[in-house]
Amino acid sequence: MQTDTPVRRQAPVVAMLLTLLIPLIAACGGAPAVQSPTEAPAATAAPEAPTTAPAATAAPTEPAGENQAVYTTENGLMAVAAVECGGNYTGLLKEIAAVDPLTVRFTFCVPDPAFRAKAAFTPFAILPSEYLESAGGTGELIERPIGTGPYQVESWTRGDNITLKRFDGYWGEPAKTETLIFRWSAEAAQRLLELQSGTVDGIDNIAPDAFEVVAADPNLQLIEREALNVFYVGMNNTYPPFDNEKVRQAIAMGIDRQRIVDNFYPPGSEVASHFTPCAIPNACVGEEWYKYDPEMARKLLAEAGFPNGFETVLEYRDVVRGYLPEPGRVAEDIQAQLAEIGVKVTINVIESGTFLDKADAGELKGLHLLGWGADYPDMTNFLDFHFGAGASKQFGNKFPDLVEALKQGASRADDAEREPFYVEANNLIKKHVPMVPIAHGGSGVAYKADVRGAFASPLGNEYFAVMDPGGRKTFVWMQNGEPAGIYCADETDGEALRVCEQVTEGLLAYEIGGTEVGPGLAEECTANADLTVWTCKLRSGVKFHDGSDLDANDVVMSWAVQWDAANPLHKGRDGSFTYFSSLWGGFLNAPAE
Amino acid sequence: MSSTSTTTTAVTLVTPMRPAEGPWRRAWRQFIHQRSAIIGMAIIGVLVFTAIFAPWIAPFDPTEVLLGKEEGIQKRSGPCLHLFGCPPDRPQHIMGVDGNFRDLFSRVIYGARLSLFIGFVTVSISVAIGVLLGAVAGFVGGWVDNVIMRVLDVVLAFPFLLLAIAIVSVLGPGLLNAMLGIAIVSIPAYARVIRASVLSAREEEYVLAARTIGLGPLAILFGHILPNAISPLIVQATLGIGTAIIEVAALSFLGLGAQPPTPEWGSMLSAERNQVFTAPHLVFFPGLAIMLTVLGFNLLGDGLRDALDPRLKV
Repeated sequence: MQTDTPVRRQAPVVAMLLTLLIPLIAACGGAPAVQSPTEAPAATAAPEAPTTAPAATAAPTEPAGENQAVYTTENGLMAVAAVECGGNYTGLLKEIAAVDPLTVRFTFCVPDPAFRAKAAFTPFAILPSEYLESAGGTGELIERPIGTGPYQVESWTRGDNITLKRFDGYWGEPAKTETLIFRWSAEAAQRLLELQSGTVDGIDNIAPDAFEVVAADPNLQLIEREALNVFYVGMNNTYPPFDNEKVRQAIAMGIDRQRIVDNFYPPGSEVASHFTPCAIPNACVGEEWYKYDPEMARKLLAEAGFPNGFETVLEYRDVVRGYLPEPGRVAEDIQAQLAEIGVKVTINVIESGTFLDKADAGELKGLHLLGWGADYPDMTNFLDFHFGAGASKQFGNKFPDLVEALKQGASRADDAEREPFYVEANNLIKKHVPMVPIAHGGSGVAYKADVRGAFASPLGNEYFAVMDPGGRKTFVWMQNGEPAGIYCADETDGEALRVCEQVTEGLLAYEIGGTEVGPGLAEECTANADLTVWTCKLRSGVKFHDGSDLDANDVVMSWAVQWDAANPLHKGRDGSFTYFSSLWGGFLNAPAE
Repeated sequence: MSSTSTTTTAVTLVTPMRPAEGPWRRAWRQFIHQRSAIIGMAIIGVLVFTAIFAPWIAPFDPTEVLLGKEEGIQKRSGPCLHLFGCPPDRPQHIMGVDGNFRDLFSRVIYGARLSLFIGFVTVSISVAIGVLLGAVAGFVGGWVDNVIMRVLDVVLAFPFLLLAIAIVSVLGPGLLNAMLGIAIVSIPAYARVIRASVLSAREEEYVLAARTIGLGPLAILFGHILPNAISPLIVQATLGIGTAIIEVAALSFLGLGAQPPTPEWGSMLSAERNQVFTAPHLVFFPGLAIMLTVLGFNLLGDGLRDALDPRLKV
């Protein structure tokens, strides 16, 4: 536990200094570090080969060693490839090539059975290559991405709303409403009040206590969202006493998870028998989680050398998500429960962004509350992201046996063939207890009763083009928070992804209101026998919002700017492109850590 | 004959005069004649009583989770009083049960203890520092006065709560840090009040007299000037207690003050703010408690000002 005594002693001094320094700091901090104007020469290269690789004269952020990306253009068809698989390059992708104007071929270093599910995911949407070149790395791309979706961005008033307009050149069925407006409020009570007073047509995440209110109101309709998520209590095995496996197991047995789900979760939630929700194939194979057993927990603590328990902190962010509808209440209940086995917990609320950064950097020393919602319905999305080779330091040192089991599971295509590896992985998670899975939280979405075609998506990406708000021309949706940016290749927040889902489209798409992967901009993507080469046939006649036609080069370009960290257009809001690196194994020319 | 008449006149002249009345006594007499001041005092009296006898008044431990200990307890259930038709086989919860299955009444009762403690400690810290700075500034004058008052002006130039939030962010969240933050930002108010009083008091003749008989500056300041400059400070401090309580509650509402499961009124409000429509009693009672307490101190402070300020004398 951190102590703040030395700081407190100097408090008056600090305060005085602070008062004098604040204006100074504000003045200096206000101006962000100006980005170096030196740009790689690619943008001014020959017109038919606009993405010629930035040559050896590269930016200093590039790793030592030669360029790992090879860009080629033949007959106006682009291709990007990795020089080799392995070595400094950790990724799964080997090559992305435009075979003809409407065919794209993805070649992989290892078989990738989850390609279709991943390719349908919002961050890998297709943007026009010309627009990426002109707007890439500027604020315009972050605020007004151009896609092929049923709506296009009209305006974004920061702090108030995002307004989308129907795109009349849409290739599919046009959107039911002319205008779609996104608004947001962090307070569940305010969202419900707005819906009841009729200023919005639909709201996200109603409070658990309000389910009955909404269900009983004839003017509203309640739609429960399937619980494709997990809420867990995390621990970091590099900090004592959590470096002791017995302590972690004791925590696992000392939390009455049924009590938490019964009392703090809405209907449709369930106690987590495994980390991954059972709707996903192979999620619930292997042993079930520990039963609540405070006696055994105390015994384990005594064996670990803590007969009288110990003191620790419980850290969380006060942010409502589908997996954690009442953060404060759950935190206090866990505090009270752990007191029963002698673990004295101090609760510490941390600001959301700081909390996530600290979790990723492995700086949370005690227990922490966090969760995960499915991006695409596959085991790798849950287990590999948290416990695999590429996972962050959130839970401390990785467990080699678990990493190996996940690696084996990820490289096989057939669910039955993968099963034994996931049995092993689930059992190892139970044994090592990097975290305690608590619940798969159901959540509720509410609409006005006259909204036709209303639904809730288990992936949290509601598609508003199919909803008709009783014949009105405008549909207003109120969610939990404002997106930081809506160039979704560089976003991870579900609040941003939901906006992108209306504007941009990927090669494939999830079924509306479900998780099945179906055709999107590609009519179909097919693999060769060993799943290392995927070929996607693009739909013809698809137009972008700027009037240009979709072709294979747009696909190559949209992926390449994410894939190659040295590409001059590899710029977004903060340039982390988190989903690309975690889903496809890593970047080309990844900057050294 | 004439001498007797003189005596009688003398007697009639003397008798209507009451024994000399001290300023404090006069102030007290004026004070108890104001209804609002009496109400303020009554509220604070009840509050102090509740705070002292909290363990006997509160039916439950304020941090005790009753789930599993009490048959059929409902989360966020409303008040249950046998007197008002609650089934007698159900245990009483005067203000209902909160989101963590704790008795709200017990928490509000213990919150009184915490709030009084917060009010008095915060104001004591800022009065102690403020009086010292203000008295020195006013008494010494010159560049010392200038330096002290300009630094305090800088503190005063920031929005009150914003500066407190900045201080708490530096020190880290917690009740003590929140109190310290509020104490620091309220120093200038006390320093200014006491400086103004000292400035006028040091020109008085009794100060000249004290100086003439050879008293040192410290003895004059603390023995003669401060006691005569203290009445505006009393008023300011009483009003300040109310302000301090509400500001610390605000910090706790923002999650920077009292940490769970401490029964602090501001954090109780914050924890249940989203249930304002579904379980209004959970925000009503802590809110009412804050309001009454602050009202009590404000009424008392106003009464004291009316009683102590010579300019307001009728």
